[in-house]
Amino acid sequence: MKEIERSAQEVIDSFVEAAKDLPELKETYYNQEAYNVVSPDGEPTPEKERAEFRKRFIADMPGSDDQGNLKVEVAKWAER
Amino acid sequence: MKVKIGLEVHQQIATERKFYCNCPTNYQDVPPNTNVCPICTGMPGAKPLSPNERAVNAAIEIAVMLGCKVITGQTVYIQRKHYDYPDLPSGYQRTSLPIASEGTLEGVRIREVHLEEDPGQYNPVAGTADYNRSGVPLVEIVTEPDMKSPEEARRFLRLLTRVLEYTGKVRPEAGGAMRADVNISLEGGGRVEVKNVNSVKGAYRALKFEIIRQRDKIKRGETVVRETRAYLESQMTTVPMRAKETEEDYRYIPDPDIFPLVLEKERVDRITAGMAEAPHIREERLIKQYGIPKPAAEVIVSERGLADLYEAVAKDVDPKLAATWFRTKLKKVLNYMKLQAADVKFTPGQLAGLLRMVKTKKVTPEQGELVLREIVKKPAEPEELLVKLGLIPLKRSELTKAISGTITTNPVAVKDYRAGKTKALEFLTGKVMGQTKGKADPRAVRKILIRRLKSRHRTRK
Amino acid sequence: MGRTLEKLDSINRGELSAVDNVWQALERIEKLDKKINSFIELNSNAVAEAEAVHRRLQRGEKVGKLEGLVIGVKSNLNVTGLRATCASRTLDNYVSTYDADVVKRVRAAGGIVIGVNNMDEFACGSSGETSAFGPTDNPAAPGHIPGGSSSGGGAAIAAGLCDLCLGTDTGGSIRNPASHCGVVGVKPTYGLVPRQGLIDLGMSLDQIGSIAPDVVGAALLLETIAGKTQNECVMLDVDKARYLDRLGDGVKGMRVGVSQKFRDLTDPAVMGVIDKSVEKLREFGAEIVDVQLPNLERGLTAYYLIVSVEFFSGTRKFDGRKYGKRIEDVCGEEVLRRIMRGRYISQKEYRGKFYQRALQVRTLVRQELMAALEKVDVIVGPTVPKLPHRLGAKLTPMEMYAYDYLTIPANLAGICAGVVKAGDVGGIPVGVQAQGKILGESDMFRVMHVLEAKA
Repeated sequence: MKEIERSAQEVIDSFVEAAKDLPELKETYYNQEAYNVVSPDGEPTPEKERAEFRKRFIADMPGSDDQGNLKVEVAKWAER
Repeated sequence: MKVKIGLEVHQQIATERKFYCNCPTNYQDVPPNTNVCPICTGMPGAKPLSPNERAVNAAIEIAVMLGCKVITGQTVYIQRKHYDYPDLPSGYQRTSLPIASEGTLEGVRIREVHLEEDPGQYNPVAGTADYNRSGVPLVEIVTEPDMKSPEEARRFLRLLTRVLEYTGKVRPEAGGAMRADVNISLEGGGRVEVKNVNSVKGAYRALKFEIIRQRDKIKRGETVVRETRAYLESQMTTVPMRAKETEEDYRYIPDPDIFPLVLEKERVDRITAGMAEAPHIREERLIKQYGIPKPAAEVIVSERGLADLYEAVAKDVDPKLAATWFRTKLKKVLNYMKLQAADVKFTPGQLAGLLRMVKTKKVTPEQGELVLREIVKKPAEPEELLVKLGLIPLKRSELTKAISGTITTNPVAVKDYRAGKTKALEFLTGKVMGQTKGKADPRAVRKILIRRLKSRHRTRK
Repeated sequence: MGRTLEKLDSINRGELSAVDNVWQALERIEKLDKKINSFIELNSNAVAEAEAVHRRLQRGEKVGKLEGLVIGVKSNLNVTGLRATCASRTLDNYVSTYDADVVKRVRAAGGIVIGVNNMDEFACGSSGETSAFGPTDNPAAPGHIPGGSSSGGGAAIAAGLCDLCLGTDTGGSIRNPASHCGVVGVKPTYGLVPRQGLIDLGMSLDQIGSIAPDVVGAALLLETIAGKTQNECVMLDVDKARYLDRLGDGVKGMRVGVSQKFRDLTDPAVMGVIDKSVEKLREFGAEIVDVQLPNLERGLTAYYLIVSVEFFSGTRKFDGRKYGKRIEDVCGEEVLRRIMRGRYISQKEYRGKFYQRALQVRTLVRQELMAALEKVDVIVGPTVPKLPHRLGAKLTPMEMYAYDYLTIPANLAGICAGVVKAGDVGGIPVGVQAQGKILGESDMFRVMHVLEAKA
């Protein structure tokens, strides 16, 4: 584990070195300048379209109850 | 001891489909994990759809209603807020940078407003997760720690609920459409954040508990550490939630799968022009425009539907009379029938018709109330209801006859009244009401009785 | 006629049925893939799908551009009913619950998904050695790495196990194996192909592209999967893509850029092969222009910081609660390395110094490339700086990352880039890379087509 952490750090150090004398520029977060790409509210998907996905979703769950809830951990702070 | 309370209120926005996918938003009506798709369940490889436009515009409207400055002309990123919790299917929550700041509501400053998506529902006791709610759009309203008591916080939340209701853009209250994280610190102690608060009542109780808990600690000489606690509804207590004391680092990054927003001034102006009047502003206007007293205006604006109804009715009848009726009889009937003003089925015209009849003394106020109850139960024209209820107005001759008759058949009461026993008057009035089967106006009856009894008295001498 | 057109022709003329095409592929896979290991799972429904396509063709219906072709799909793409494992124990029991948009498009065009291709675990690699299901061999240079992370795709095409493959490219993961395996690989302009259903490595860098035996095949597959959908947000506003019609237009009069920087970074033997390709272009009438890319190599470390942050973010959903297992519990070293690195540099106190600074270097590399592409139509150069190592050779992480020097810039800038075999060094394939402008696939394909033709 320590070895992985150390080797993970290498490229960071290498980066700092490589970027040392480079100018400060605006960060590129996106490959294109686009804003306000939104979709209108509207009719949701009908139930039968979602039924197939629901079956597969539940089939992939490590644990589920008979209503279709996903079984996850009980909260430690609630166990009083 | 100085108390500082701040709130982070999460309010669901009313939309047909979720923020980033096409699933329906009616999560309370369906079995667990039914309103779900790869996106809102965090399936490997799922990408969000473009943000729901109605949610964005609703948040702007809410911010303006709260007196905030909307952040225009700047890049507003939708960010990923990373943390680990069973109700968060992707391990991060999509949350925007602030879209507005520096508002105020009845003395409490609003620090900022932003957009979020609701996580799923995690039952910490049963250990289950249901993602029906995951992805429903939320607006988050963050206040400054300006509140100084649980009562102030409760009052603020009630006012806020009303303002939000006024926009018409939020999901109705029932069942957790509004949730709050409450932050409280006592002088000399760290700030405690309480999560899992699902109602105004819960916020009040959580705060009351926290104040006691923190005061006790300070009294014992212990420090109140900065921490996150959870509110347990069933026990009305708070318990520690996270082990570490350090603030969680959410490692925010702009979401590479969602283009950022830039809110243009034109859009904000358009939304401002088209939006409903804020309740406190409407209250002032009603007082001024219709010349009604503040207590009445306050009641009328308590619900947007009620205020709308009032103004529709006040067009056709005496606004002051209408105000009195709205404040007393209508509110009473609605409360009794557990109805919101927005849900009534009768028309403003029908109500106005009834009030006209009261004004012209075609019916007594008491009779009017009977008609009102009928109108609310089963809407109809007031004239029809008069007939249906047998409330044809009393003829003058009938009234005179009833009064004379009562005076004649109750000499003891008459004597008592003339001897100064005012209670006798009520007795006699009651008798007349009985005689006329309630159709008489008790005020008129009283007046006539007094005149007749007193005058007789004088002539005797 | 190249392999792809031949195949399509014989299916069209009824000489080869779609069903037989699938059977042949399954036989070849049965015979050869134990040694190559280019497929993780086969589609048990493939024959049935082929039968459906066959019936429609028989009825004379127009099926689509990929009618009857057998397609391999990289294991980080969702195909309902098959396991999208990303070659990792994390998802080795995750049965896809939906189809990636590109898979829908391939099927709508009559393509038949034969199976799921092996890859480097979670696409974190350039060699094909880090799969939890075992390494992949290079059929064009047996005993050597096929490259990565689309190792299975490159190998399957090289061995003729299927007609076309869908791969993904974040820092070179299509082009690298294309070069090592001597096949054609294309990374499209970022935002041209929908990513719905692609399991993320780096969201702002990933693109789905084509791996094919020839340029026509690569162009055909790209035409099929490209174009805007309403089904995700970050996409370019392009309706349809058309490359085949102008593919054979030649390069006469085109300006082709070359850079000394490539020579500085590349093994001389490899560069020698590339020089011949550039000469060929000159012979065919292209104008060769020198372009400056002074900071090209600085992109490498910036890339690894950016991709680590994005990968850390994208893997938070692998908490083992809804499906699969918690990633940190079962993943390989390189995957863990990137998660840890990403977790570290995205902290509040380090974001500015590392993550944001890396994004600034991205801007610089991007600007330089764009400036160069103002002067020329296409930049031509090597794909990888060195020849592929032998399977099992021990490389340090930095040595492994060094394969990516020449492919990463195209991902940082979002431009299109394609690779075609240029020659070989001692029998080991060397691919030449053509990088085009944003949405410059047409010019890129024209250059690739000329480079592909036997001299």
